[in-house]
Amino acid sequence: MTAAAERAPAVPKGSALAWIKERLFRNFWSGVLSVVLIAILAYAGYRVVLFVFVNGRWEAVSRNLTNFMVGRFPRGEIWRLVAQMTLLGLALGVAAGTASGSARDRAAEAGLQYDPPSLAGTLRRFWSLIAFVLVLLAMTTTVGPWLVAAAVVILGYAGWQSWRLPRSLRMVSWVTTALLLLASFQVVSGTDGRAWVPVALVVAAASWLGVPVERLQARLRRVVSLAAVTVAAAVVFGVYSVIGAPGVGWDNWSGMNLTLWWSAIVIVLAFPIGVLLALARRSTLPTLRYLATTYIELIRGVPLITLLFMGQFILGFMLPAGTNLSSISRSIAAGTLFTAAYVAEIVRGGLQSLPPGQAEAGQALGMGTPAITRKIVLPQALRAVIPAMVGQFISLFKDSSLLFIIGVTEFLAVRGIAHAQPDFRVIAHAETLVFVAVGYWAIAFAMSRESQRLERKLGVGER
Amino acid sequence: MFRVVGQIVAMAAVGALIWWLLSNLSTNLNRAGIGTDFGFLTRPTQFTIPYFTTFNARSPVWQMVLVGVKNTLLAGFIGVLIASLVGLVIGIARLSTNWLAARLATVFVEFFRNIPPLVVIIFFGAAVFTFGPLPILGEATEIKIPGSSNNLLLLSNDRWGIPGLAAQGNVGAYLIVFALGVVVAVGMWIWRTRVNVNTGAPHHRLLWSLGAMALFGIVGYLLLGGPFVIEWPSLSENRRVIASGFAMNWGFMALTGALGLYTASHIAEIIRGSIQAVPKGQTEASSALALNGFQRYRFVVLPQALRIAVPPIINQYLNLVKNTSLGLAVAYAELAALTSTSIANGRPAVQSIVVMMAVYLTFSLTISLILNIVNRRLELVTR
Repeated sequence: MTAAAERAPAVPKGSALAWIKERLFRNFWSGVLSVVLIAILAYAGYRVVLFVFVNGRWEAVSRNLTNFMVGRFPRGEIWRLVAQMTLLGLALGVAAGTASGSARDRAAEAGLQYDPPSLAGTLRRFWSLIAFVLVLLAMTTTVGPWLVAAAVVILGYAGWQSWRLPRSLRMVSWVTTALLLLASFQVVSGTDGRAWVPVALVVAAASWLGVPVERLQARLRRVVSLAAVTVAAAVVFGVYSVIGAPGVGWDNWSGMNLTLWWSAIVIVLAFPIGVLLALARRSTLPTLRYLATTYIELIRGVPLITLLFMGQFILGFMLPAGTNLSSISRSIAAGTLFTAAYVAEIVRGGLQSLPPGQAEAGQALGMGTPAITRKIVLPQALRAVIPAMVGQFISLFKDSSLLFIIGVTEFLAVRGIAHAQPDFRVIAHAETLVFVAVGYWAIAFAMSRESQRLERKLGVGER
Repeated sequence: MFRVVGQIVAMAAVGALIWWLLSNLSTNLNRAGIGTDFGFLTRPTQFTIPYFTTFNARSPVWQMVLVGVKNTLLAGFIGVLIASLVGLVIGIARLSTNWLAARLATVFVEFFRNIPPLVVIIFFGAAVFTFGPLPILGEATEIKIPGSSNNLLLLSNDRWGIPGLAAQGNVGAYLIVFALGVVVAVGMWIWRTRVNVNTGAPHHRLLWSLGAMALFGIVGYLLLGGPFVIEWPSLSENRRVIASGFAMNWGFMALTGALGLYTASHIAEIIRGSIQAVPKGQTEASSALALNGFQRYRFVVLPQALRIAVPPIINQYLNLVKNTSLGLAVAYAELAALTSTSIANGRPAVQSIVVMMAVYLTFSLTISLILNIVNRRLELVTR
């Protein structure tokens, strides 16, 4: 048996021959294996190089690059996506900068040395994503995408400088990030319809967290924060009813743009439902527990595609006559119902991992169950499940390819547009598929690396 | 007091929501003139399933459901076999001291884990079969057994032929003899175990059991005058169908191959993790007892690793069975594909989807039940 539970011992540096002997020709069978693998690898490498640089008809991809990225998005409105990307770049920069700032402060408090993330480290962490973007840029024929990419990088770097900001502004930075994310969503979807609802929710949550009420009495504090929330929501509603700028709603999104936003919207919608379900499943009230358990087990027992079918064929009938939801909205509903069950199981894992002493300490301090849950149990449980949540997000991102089956034009389904063109009707199927696979892979791989890093950083499973 | 009121309120809220949805459903269905009964199950499907000649347009819908269940289970079973074998090899290779093997296994795992299974399935379906390099069925590549005119494999972009077994009569009698052999083999196993426990003599139970089974198999085959023969794959006269041997269609191969590789990447990670999770002291202790490498693995490391690995692996099997519903994308006639075709042919959507979900739920609950039993048996007995 060639396997061993332990890695091969470290070999002194500088002796390549010794390294080869130790790692490839340790014994007879290892040597045979190496020779066979090298032969296979050489042949496979030859075929891959031939496919990528000589035989591949990549024009099927490069001519449809815009289709793959944004699909049927109205071409006259592309500026919205450019604005969205720059805003997102800034938002991510601010978020990363704020996180680094907090880490620096924590390190300073603990009296430790803090090393800010280096450029090389960032490149190494996101190499798959960066490589994919470079491949995309290499296939473009105009200078526009290069300019957009440059703007995103510059704005992201500018946003990252927020790590220099003092600690008192940290909350403001987080709120700014949330608002930038919302603005990036709104700049595409416009402000007509019910777009004000999510914005009002986020602004209200931000004002609830941000209003300085620490010095007030308990009862007054409650009144003030409630008033702040109401006023913020009302202001948002007022602003929106005055502006009313139409945009391109998600019913008209497609391509990679839809894939990413669909996953993001679904996880954001499913998260609160999942947390409530997990709390219900751990509740001492039997009715709540049975309802939540039944829901979670039913949903986890069926494949996502059956729920998507339900969304397509049944959901329309279950709403009052005259309600007309697009197939994207219905797929978001189905995806949310599905993901909520999985989020609930992840959060339940976090709740179970918490030692009972935590809740008992809260009881000893005379806190009620809601306060214990909100202030002691949930913050720790949710922190412990961050890596698993990223994993669930990756799996949701991969599952978004199922929208193809119900006729929504997401990233994978754009192949249909490309192969409907007379030039590519029967050729280049392998090329478009390889491109799509690499696209999914680059993003999912970067995220899975991040989740492993978070796991190490948070020390999950080591406490 | 609060507890009782809270529960009643929760019940009432959920009940009201369900009632509201269902009343909307029945109102809307009534208005559209769609029935809500399950009578459609006995009416004809009015479509045919490719490659299923026993099923025609007059066959009732419940028969279609059975075909779907059978194909889902078949794809699930073969997929599980592929995933287990590949996953085991890759998982062990990841821990190999051979640097190249370990790196290649890592590349395999990181590649397949991070792309959607649907993309892999469609890659096999479109880039390997439909638009791939293989010839059409009429000009299928014939791979012959060296020194013989029989085909070992028939390769085309539509169907593949592999050797099969052809009955020559007396198969029923042979199956009875073989079943008897299995019973005797189990008896041998129990007997040898008891001998080993009572006297300490080497049990060799695998040898005894397999020997008994082989004896019954061979003697039965000879006595019954050869109840079946191996049939080599060949094309029919007009080269339109595979006339003999066992034929597989492209949808099945694309689905099982892709799901097998995708799930194998997950299983490989589980196996690697479980072997690494066995405390190092166990390996050191077995070395101290002078066990050799094989014994160390067989008797100390693997039994403990399996205890950790089996529950998550069964979960992966469940995922694989649920993922067979993606066979829709390669026109493989499994349950989800047939249900969607049937809905497109005018069968009532609500009832069809209810039937489909019920079947998948049955699969999931069965596998969960098995998982629970396995978990109970694997549980560490502590004092």
